Amino acid sequence: MSHEVALMGDMLNIVAEDMQKHGLSKVEKLKLRVGTLSHSVPDALEMAFEIHKAMKAPILTEDSALEIEVEEARAQCVICGHEYVPDHRVALCPNCGVPGGKLIAGDAIRIVSYEGV
Amino acid sequence: MAEIILSQDALASNNRAASHNRQLFEQYGVLVINVMSSPGAGKTTLLEKTIEALGDRYRIGVIQGDLATQIDADRVRARGASAAQINTHGVCHLEAAMVNKVLPQLDLEALDLLFIENVGNLVCPSGYDLGEHHRITVLSVPEGNDKILKYPVMYLRTELVLLNKIDVLPYFDFDVEQAIEDLRTINPKSRLIPLSVKEETNLDEWYQWIDEVYARWPKAVG
Ligand SMILES: Nc1nc2c(ncn2[C@@H]2O[C@H](COP(=O)(O)OP(=O)(O)OP(=O)(O)O)[C@@H](O)[C@H]2O)c(=O)[nH]1
Ligand SMILES: [Mg+2]
Repeated sequence: MSHEVALMGDMLNIVAEDMQKHGLSKVEKLKLRVGTLSHSVPDALEMAFEIHKAMKAPILTEDSALEIEVEEARAQCVICGHEYVPDHRVALCPNCGVPGGKLIAGDAIRIVSYEGV
Repeated sequence: MAEIILSQDALASNNRAASHNRQLFEQYGVLVINVMSSPGAGKTTLLEKTIEALGDRYRIGVIQGDLATQIDADRVRARGASAAQINTHGVCHLEAAMVNKVLPQLDLEALDLLFIENVGNLVCPSGYDLGEHHRITVLSVPEGNDKILKYPVMYLRTELVLLNKIDVLPYFDFDVEQAIEDLRTINPKSRLIPLSVKEETNLDEWYQWIDEVYARWPKAVG
């Protein structure tokens, strides 16, 4: 859990830096994209956002909102080229039945955008 | 207010710090291995034995990640390795900047191999590049077969799994063949070596892996 708190802190720093360039000081809405095979889950990030609010993060207010778009993992088989949504056996291609899949999406957490004042 | 597009990786600053570490490691010719596992899988015991066995071949350093104590760093120092301790104060993983901060405690010039013992945790450390060249995971028999499928994100990003504590296999229903098969379906490029650090079973295969990756490393030549 503390992992998401630290991660959220990093993201807020990135946003704060960018806000300064735009002459903004408070976040109205922060949009993230979280892959289903990234090392964090939306619930924990939402909780971390609330914790940073409670800790009075300078760029957050009571009303700052977090919006998380979940990015489904996708893999492509290097053998048959088939694209699929992997389950836990990430590399197992459902088309040819061998582990030839490589992840092409869903393993990252990205700060998509923000709105600020 | 208009939406401002950032489109940045959340780990961008960690990744930058990791590249910086990697550059330093290359410059000093130190091959770095990040060792991950759940708590108590046997990382420190493995490193103690490894330092003893390979201490003549390589000059070995260790960075110990720990929530709060010095215990593990003292253990590897007692075996003759130079060690630096990172106390994460509750943070469940190491970050590249934390590693960078303790590097001055190690004489990189006087090292060939550096092991980083990550905080015991199968989730958080996997996202954080520390600047290492290789990533390995220690899985121990009492944790059970299902850990590989339950934590695919960890095993996706690991190239070697050391299955430790095979001395207690008779007391657990751990299916080694199944573990190898499961690993293959997540990360076909990774390899599993079953061993017992305590009974010193099959450690040679692990040492051989180290020799191989070290020999293959371009910086090791000259
Ligand atoms: N039976 C058995 N016990 C082992 C083996 N290797 C390590 N242990 C025991 O497992 C326990 C934990 O070992 P450590 O080396 O401290 O594990 P660790 O992964 O460093 O633990 P943390 O740093 O706390 O996450 C110790 O009591 C070791 O003696 C093994 O091969 N077989
Ligand atoms: Mg330890």
